[in-house]
Amino acid sequence: MQRFQFYNPRSVEDALNFLAEKGERSKIIAGGTDLIPGLRLEEIRPDFVLNIPEINPFRGIKEMDHSFWIGPTTTFTEMVESNLLSRSFPALVQSAASVGGPQIRNRGTIGGNIANASPAADVLPALLAHGGELELQSKRNGKRIIPLAEAILSPYKTCFRSDEILTGIILKKLELGTRSAFEKLGRRKAMARARMNLTLLLRLNHREEVSELRIVPGAVMPVAKRMDRTERMLLGKKPEPLLIEAASKTLAEEMVEVTGARWSTEYKIPVLKNIFKRMMKQLLIV
Amino acid sequence: MKKRGIGIGCMYYGMGYGFSRPDVSAAEVEICEDGSIIVRSGEVDYGQGSDTIFCQMVAEELGIRYDTIQLITADTFATPNAGPTSASRLTYVTGNAMVKASRAIKKTLQSVAEEILGERDLLFLDEEIFSESHPERRISFRQLAKEGHLRGLPMVETAWHDITTKDVNPETGQGDAYSTYAYAAQLAEVAVDTETGEVEVLRIVAAADVGKAINPSNVEGQIEGGVAMGLGYALTEEIKEEGGYLKTRNLGEYMIPTSMDVPPIDPHIVEVPVSSGPYGAKGVGEPALIPTAPAILNAIANAIGVRVTELPANLENLHRLIREKERD
Ligand SMILES: Cc1cc2nc3c(=O)[nH]c(=O)nc-3n(C[C@H](O)[C@H](O)[C@H](O)COP(=O)(O)OP(=O)(O)OC[C@H]3O[C@@H](n4cnc5c(N)ncnc54)[C@H](O)[C@@H]3O)c2cc1C
Repeated sequence: MQRFQFYNPRSVEDALNFLAEKGERSKIIAGGTDLIPGLRLEEIRPDFVLNIPEINPFRGIKEMDHSFWIGPTTTFTEMVESNLLSRSFPALVQSAASVGGPQIRNRGTIGGNIANASPAADVLPALLAHGGELELQSKRNGKRIIPLAEAILSPYKTCFRSDEILTGIILKKLELGTRSAFEKLGRRKAMARARMNLTLLLRLNHREEVSELRIVPGAVMPVAKRMDRTERMLLGKKPEPLLIEAASKTLAEEMVEVTGARWSTEYKIPVLKNIFKRMMKQLLIV
Repeated sequence: MKKRGIGIGCMYYGMGYGFSRPDVSAAEVEICEDGSIIVRSGEVDYGQGSDTIFCQMVAEELGIRYDTIQLITADTFATPNAGPTSASRLTYVTGNAMVKASRAIKKTLQSVAEEILGERDLLFLDEEIFSESHPERRISFRQLAKEGHLRGLPMVETAWHDITTKDVNPETGQGDAYSTYAYAAQLAEVAVDTETGEVEVLRIVAAADVGKAINPSNVEGQIEGGVAMGLGYALTEEIKEEGGYLKTRNLGEYMIPTSMDVPPIDPHIVEVPVSSGPYGAKGVGEPALIPTAPAILNAIANAIGVRVTELPANLENLHRLIREKERD
């Protein structure tokens, strides 16, 4: 193990002061489930490691008038056990439940999943589908709020500045009648990196037409994003089987436009289509 | 769509090395003055439970409790060679050496007991040695051990067991290559997701002929462990290599099944004693694993009519076969 100084801040202010001074040479540690392997493999060589799970204002889940606030060091286990989240964002909770195994879920945090920006992350794409926003804080600039969709620049790279901490995740409440689903495909039933995951949010109007649709596949593109062309195809229309079939083709095309054809596309194209159709069918039965 | 299927896999397996390759094992049994026992053997118990069953064997022969035995194993400085823990051979080969060494030392003890008790029809049971016809004539094992030492008799015996076979005829390939064979059969029930290529193994029923189960729960453990390994071999485990370099470099990438992936396993112990084995026993290590992959692949074929001829039958490989079948 390499050598570094471990700093345990006593407060938010303490942590922000520390980063203002030493941010460039520091790494934040939350659950450590990504950071520790990175240190072991010497992919990163920080001089300082800043420990944030003991900062109380970074924990917990709060309900506001029109939104929810989730603390960055909230663990996946805490998300799964939260009645508040399970009621309001079932697909998000499913994504948290799909992470690794019990040990990883007990340590790994929602903030770490975002900040690590892995292309294979499970919770990050689900949050994207839910229109998540990030609250970032630094000593120099105070607080800023940005959409999650703008935060991930490339694999493992975020727009966070070196003196900033992700201090909260904000999710607007979903409109009544919004249905959601998450599915993960892995090589085994636990401790498996996603081969692919898919989050869908769907709402129909009183005429049974699609009034809202969000489609975010994960682990198939360098950076997960909403598939807007496919979403638009279905918006305002009745989701008939033929239309869903056509939309599934567009969805696969949208993916290939980003990734190009690789050895794995031969598998990913039909399977993404299949999972999409299957999940749409399930959401429409509800 | 999820489709279900059932498949069978069967195997027979030659115990030990066969084909005239040297296959020997040694064990040493020493009786201490206080009646406790020290057993030395180069055998390695890396989890399969051989230490336990060797203590059981020595205890069975000497009529003592098996927790009075101290086992010293796998130390080239202190233990006689038992050969490798491989080829499912320890119970069968080293087990015989254990029984032989125990019987040799029992003979010495028996002569001492005959002299002391003045009886010849002696039984060694529950830490005591007594006459069948006059059960009141008895001596404790502990006392007998002490008497042996007082008389200056050899209280340590080494035995060497050799199962090396003749080679087969080099021209015809005919002959009996192995000292004995193990047999096993397994049934697998699977659900195949035709949309993703995902295979879920729902249940495995596994029968193994072990000759004699020296320790039945040990055998069940071996069967269950073997099935888990066979499942990984069939569905997920893969070592990727590129230009001579390993691309699969750690267990995060080499997908062994987790406890969530292993289905309910229903083990059946079949006992057809083999005269050349200790108490009729033979090995079960590899026989527990070998039928699993064929049973799973046959179940996949039964479910979706696709024959897998290359392992692992993972998501991509199986889905490619499914697509090829749809195209035809
Ligand atoms: C065996 C194993 C299995 C796994 N399985 C999965 C899986 O199935 N799905 C999945 O998505 N992930 C998986 N992961 C990855 C990992 O568990 C998740 O990405 C987790 O969310 C990381 O959170 P953490 O708190 O452990 O992050 P850490 O390792 O503490 O940090 C990760 C990165 O984020 C930064 N960071 C953390 N918190 C903040 C913050 N508040 N502000 C700014 N930067 C911050 C750190 O500096 C670091 O660069 C697995 C990891 C392991 C080891």
